[in-house]
Order: sequence, then structure tokens, then C-alpha cells
Amino acid sequence: MTPDARPPRTRGVIALVEESCTVCMLCVRECPDWCIEIDSHTETLPPDDTHRRPRTNAVLDRFAIDFALCMYCGICVEVCPFDALHWSPVAEYAATSPDALVHERDRLASWEATVPPPSPLDPHGVVEDPGPRRPSPRG
Amino acid sequence: MSALAGAVVAALEPGEGTAYDGFGPVTVDVPRERWVEALEAAHAAGAVFFDLLTAYDLGPDGFAVVVHVASADARDHVLVRTTVPRDDAVLPTATGVYRGAAWHERETHEMFGVGFAGHEIAPLLLPADFGAAPLRKDFVLAARAARAWPGEKDPSDSGGRARRRTLPPGVPADWPEAGT
Amino acid sequence: MPTSPVHLPLPGLGRPAESGPVRLDLTWDGRDWTVWMVDVGLACCSVEVMAAALASGATRAAGALVHGDGKHVDVLVVSGTCTDVLAPALRRMWEQLPEPRRVLSFGACSASGGPYWDSYSVTKGIDQVIPVDVYVPGCPPRPEALLQGLSLLEPGSA
Repeated sequence: MTPDARPPRTRGVIALVEESCTVCMLCVRECPDWCIEIDSHTETLPPDDTHRRPRTNAVLDRFAIDFALCMYCGICVEVCPFDALHWSPVAEYAATSPDALVHERDRLASWEATVPPPSPLDPHGVVEDPGPRRPSPRG
Repeated sequence: MSALAGAVVAALEPGEGTAYDGFGPVTVDVPRERWVEALEAAHAAGAVFFDLLTAYDLGPDGFAVVVHVASADARDHVLVRTTVPRDDAVLPTATGVYRGAAWHERETHEMFGVGFAGHEIAPLLLPADFGAAPLRKDFVLAARAARAWPGEKDPSDSGGRARRRTLPPGVPADWPEAGT
Repeated sequence: MPTSPVHLPLPGLGRPAESGPVRLDLTWDGRDWTVWMVDVGLACCSVEVMAAALASGATRAAGALVHGDGKHVDVLVVSGTCTDVLAPALRRMWEQLPEPRRVLSFGACSASGGPYWDSYSVTKGIDQVIPVDVYVPGCPPRPEALLQGLSLLEPGSA
């Protein structure tokens, strides 16, 4: 069946939204196969109008997933606190060499266009308006 | 307590067999010298179905060898367990009681190096020149030792506040060499 | 609960499995292909290869898998985990293929060892023992991924 017709949350390939990645390295550390590699460095930003103190910003240099090793467990997608990794249902990306199965950040970003919108919420799970909050004991 | 477990404990001297009722079947711990008698008692009590014989590495305390047997008629099963020291890891063979233990003892011998007296162990799974017992805890996984864990890197390596170092998932904190 | 054994009819075993390469008729990217493949089904990935073979046009037309005589093999599909003990047998199998012989690695285990890359007994990719032409990633890959991988084989070899 075509990628669009596959069931929701089909695990075909992993897409990366770079703007959301803060280089927290959780996906790299939690991957059981050690198939994600990240290179990065930090930059110090000076104080400005909205920040009174210097800030340290982590900058992504390299984000690569080796799909020859990947077992599609989804731990990286689940653990990312910033939702920078998404499942795409596209499964057809075979290659003639194992190096071509290592997807770098550009290729991972290009998969984002194939990521379907999230499944609709369960209608039985929607909570009715819970009403006004009870006042706190502290007033 | 399960009747099978009670039969095993009753066949031994008082205090020799201790039963532990945790998850799943009752586990009866027996001394090494009474291994075959404990299995014979289980067999005599109706546990004629042999499921498995395996071992696990206790570290300095040696190896625990475990047998799982069951009685289909009584809908009962029991784990019989003993411990062998690391420097004298030999146990009498269970094949006199349960013929099906033969392949299990071959595998346990290959994976842990535990000997089974009275059973002529032939290799089963590993190539003849493997030369080690791979399921021992001190067996180093060559692939993990050869490859640097990508999670060791950190953005702060180039400056800034370093984070607390962690180990790869699944590696215990007291592992001899982190990451292997 | 019953105390005596329950009697059930024995399932029929059917015809013995035939050997020989399996014919796959597939369409990819607007082109029609016929591929004669031998699947070395070592583990779970072989189920997806079976699904692709059973869904192929040739199978549906014949009502059963179509087997060749073995003299013509287009591709050796290795689906599943290859262990170090099995590797020599895989090598011998590849050596017995008639030329031109192509190899397609199906799934993560045959590409790199996959989830078992750190095992003491797993070959870290079948390209350690035989040359591989196409690597299909997945754990397991979809049957459609096998078809796309087969389409990467040199045209004219089918």
C-alpha cells in the first residue's frame, strides 16, 4: 500500500525538525543500538536587551541516524522532550551501500514533509470542561 | 505452598531446602551435594515434564543453576536451584533423572563454563575455537569495547558547564568498564 | 477442567515444501519486473519476504508460489540474523549460485547485525562474508521495501 494508506504511526523512517532540537543528547544516549550520532559545540551569547547575563547555546553540527543499525523501536522519538523527531511511514529507501543508509541532518529534515498529521484524539478520551479551579488552601 | 516444592523440601534433611515463593513458581534452593536427590524427589512427586536447565552468574558467589520442572496432571511446577562456587563450578548431571537435560547442560557448559559430572559434554552452539564462556558477567563484548558510545559526547565538550556522565542504557553502575 | 487428554484431529501437512528460486512479478516506478529469488530466511525478516512473494502477481495467478528449476537465480535475498556459526554455510550457498549473482540484504540484522550488533555470536552484516548489492533497511522492512530494493538491482539481470 502507499505510504499515505498505511496505518497511523507507521514506523517507516525518522524525520528531524532541526529548529526544535536543543542538542540535549537524550536520543543518542537512550538509543539501544547506538545508531544516532550527534556532533555539536556550544556558543556563548553575550547579554542583550532581553537577557541580562551571557547564555550558553548548544549548536548542532552533525545529526546522523544509521538506518542499517536502527531497529525502529521508537525510543528516540518518545524520549525527545522537544518533539524534534517524528515517524514517517515511508519505508522505501534501500541503497546499494551501507553508507547511503546513514541519513545526515539534511536528509532527515527532508523526511519531515512525509510525516502525516497526528492521529485525531480519541473522542471518548476528551474531557469535558472541568469547571473553575478550587481555590488553593493558601488563598 | 506448592505440593511439588513441598515434596522436594521433604526429601532433604531439615533445613537443607529452603523454598522461596516469589513471582511465578516456587523456587526451592538446595545444597549442591543434594542436587540429584532433589531432582529425583521432584520427579517422584509427579514433575515428569522437564522444561529447562540454565544458570546465571552471581559474580564472586559463583553460579546459580536452575531447573524448571512441571507436572501436567497436578497443574504444578517448581524451580529447583543450587549454587556452585566460581573456582569449582561442577555439578552432578541431571540427565540420570531427566534425559531432556542433556542439551541444556551442554548449553550451560558452553555459556557459563559449568561442568556436569557424569555427562560427556559435546559442543552445541559455539564454534570449537570460541575459547570463552560468553554469558559470564566478566565476558567483554568486543563490539561494545571497540566502538565509542556516541552518548559520551556532549555539546559542552568545547566549553561551558559539563553534564553528569551517564552510562549506555542497560549497563549497571558498578560495571568494571563503563560502556563495555 | 478435563482430566483426560483432549483429542483433536491432526492438522494435514499438505505437500512437502518445494525448493528452488521463487518467481516475483512486481511493478515499481512504472516498470514491470520478473525476479527469480532465493530467500535465505534466517529469522523474522523472512516473514515479510514471504508476504511479498505471496502477494506477487505470479503467485496470485498460479494460486501458489511459482518455483524455478534453480538454474536461473537473479538474486539471493538474505533475510534475518546471520550468526558466526552459520556464516560459512551462507558463503558456500553464495558460491554455488550461477553467475551473475546478486545479493540483497533484507533487514537490519543482515545489513549490520542490527539490534544484535554487540552479540558474541552474530555476524555484523552479511557483507562480512559475501558481497552485497542492495541493502534494504528495516526491522523488519515492509514487503514494499523489498520491491523497491529489488528495483535497484541492475536492469537486465532479471
